[in-house]
Amino acid sequence: MAKKFKAFVKLVLSAGKANPAPPVGPALAAHGVNIMAFCKEYNARTQNKMGEIIPAEISVYTDGSFTFILKSPPTAFLLKKAAGIEKGSAVPNKEKVGKVTRDQVREIAETKFKDMNAVDMEDAMAQIEGTARNMGITVVD
Amino acid sequence: MAEDIHWLEVKVTCDGETAEVVSEVLSRYIADGVVTETDAKYDEAEEVLIETGDIRVFGYLPYDEKTDEIRNKIEEALWHLNMIQPIPNPTYKIILDQNWMESWKKYYKPIKIGEKLLILPSWLNQTDEDRNRIIVKIDPSMAFGTGTHPTTQMCMSLSEEFCQPGMDVIDVGCGSGILSVAAIKLGAKKALGVDLDYASVVAAKNTAELNSVHEKLEVGLGSVTEINNCDFSFQNANLVLTNILAPIILRLFTNGLSKLVKENGYLILSGILDYQSDEVVQKALEEGFHLIKKVMINDWVALAFQK
Repeated sequence: MAKKFKAFVKLVLSAGKANPAPPVGPALAAHGVNIMAFCKEYNARTQNKMGEIIPAEISVYTDGSFTFILKSPPTAFLLKKAAGIEKGSAVPNKEKVGKVTRDQVREIAETKFKDMNAVDMEDAMAQIEGTARNMGITVVD
Repeated sequence: MAEDIHWLEVKVTCDGETAEVVSEVLSRYIADGVVTETDAKYDEAEEVLIETGDIRVFGYLPYDEKTDEIRNKIEEALWHLNMIQPIPNPTYKIILDQNWMESWKKYYKPIKIGEKLLILPSWLNQTDEDRNRIIVKIDPSMAFGTGTHPTTQMCMSLSEEFCQPGMDVIDVGCGSGILSVAAIKLGAKKALGVDLDYASVVAAKNTAELNSVHEKLEVGLGSVTEINNCDFSFQNANLVLTNILAPIILRLFTNGLSKLVKENGYLILSGILDYQSDEVVQKALEEGFHLIKKVMINDWVALAFQK
């Protein structure tokens, strides 16, 4: 059944640096979204967060018009920041590259909670710990 | 490698929980960012947009001498991740470089509406064939109403039929302002467009300026209640347009939509799915209107009433 809504597109971008090159260009052009209008608006709204990764969740309508909201930085970005590392492990099941404390996991869960499908804080923390495990980051007490 | 090949698209289709960690893996090797995409549908009961189906995670690598090496690293990282949780194999597609600033525009063409109107994307010129049509220019952006959707087209075509020179017009949920601008171009004396979304208010003002009718179009933040509360310069009109969704239209009736229509004036309702139209018609009849025209494109319906 036809609806006015078409798709969700989530772009994980550096604050203030959206431009028409990939990934923005191909992701939005495929839906007929005005790319320059998106880039201008995204950069204006994120210019005070330069250096952070700020996802934009774009609702695309069936006629190519769109709206978007900014989301909290990805869990992986916050975990890397908390662990003081630049990259997750390429071999997460064997090679651990950093540590975060359970308090740091709670802090991240509190930051991310509104954007997560978590029933409570414990559930949110379990999800964050799962992502940490997949990145080769150990959670310690 | 051909010279006009520039990007390698890496795509992994997975569930929501896996998508975040796959995004993280791709981000390690693709500095410019990654994209996730899902289909969406509107949940009428909850009035929210919900994601449906799997998530598609995309990354784009510049196609150069390092591409194969990075591709191998990505595959290796995903293989290791697969040891912890199942990860589907990535698929690849070569993307030709193009002017992304322009390429989205190919989805927009001039659209003839009824006998008189022509929706024209702002970057295109009127052709000789269309020189007798009334032009409504549009710059697609952050507000619904680019003219490509059936609900917008039907609403404009009914406006063409019922909008007479000198009328005043109210457009509730004006979006891009395309309907108000079309009404003014058809001869309306003045129009009021209201929307609850600030981006739409900005877009509607831009559309009015693009079409040089900004002196006749008042735009503001609000809906039926704000109009009835005298927040704007006029409170009723000969022609009232509403292109939203059926559940919202029903709510607008409860909030006083009928008061906005002058005696013998017209009410055009669009954004209604076929199976919802009986309920909307019934509500309008109860409010003292009679149905004068019903049009359909696919399963969308637009209705014209007179008070």
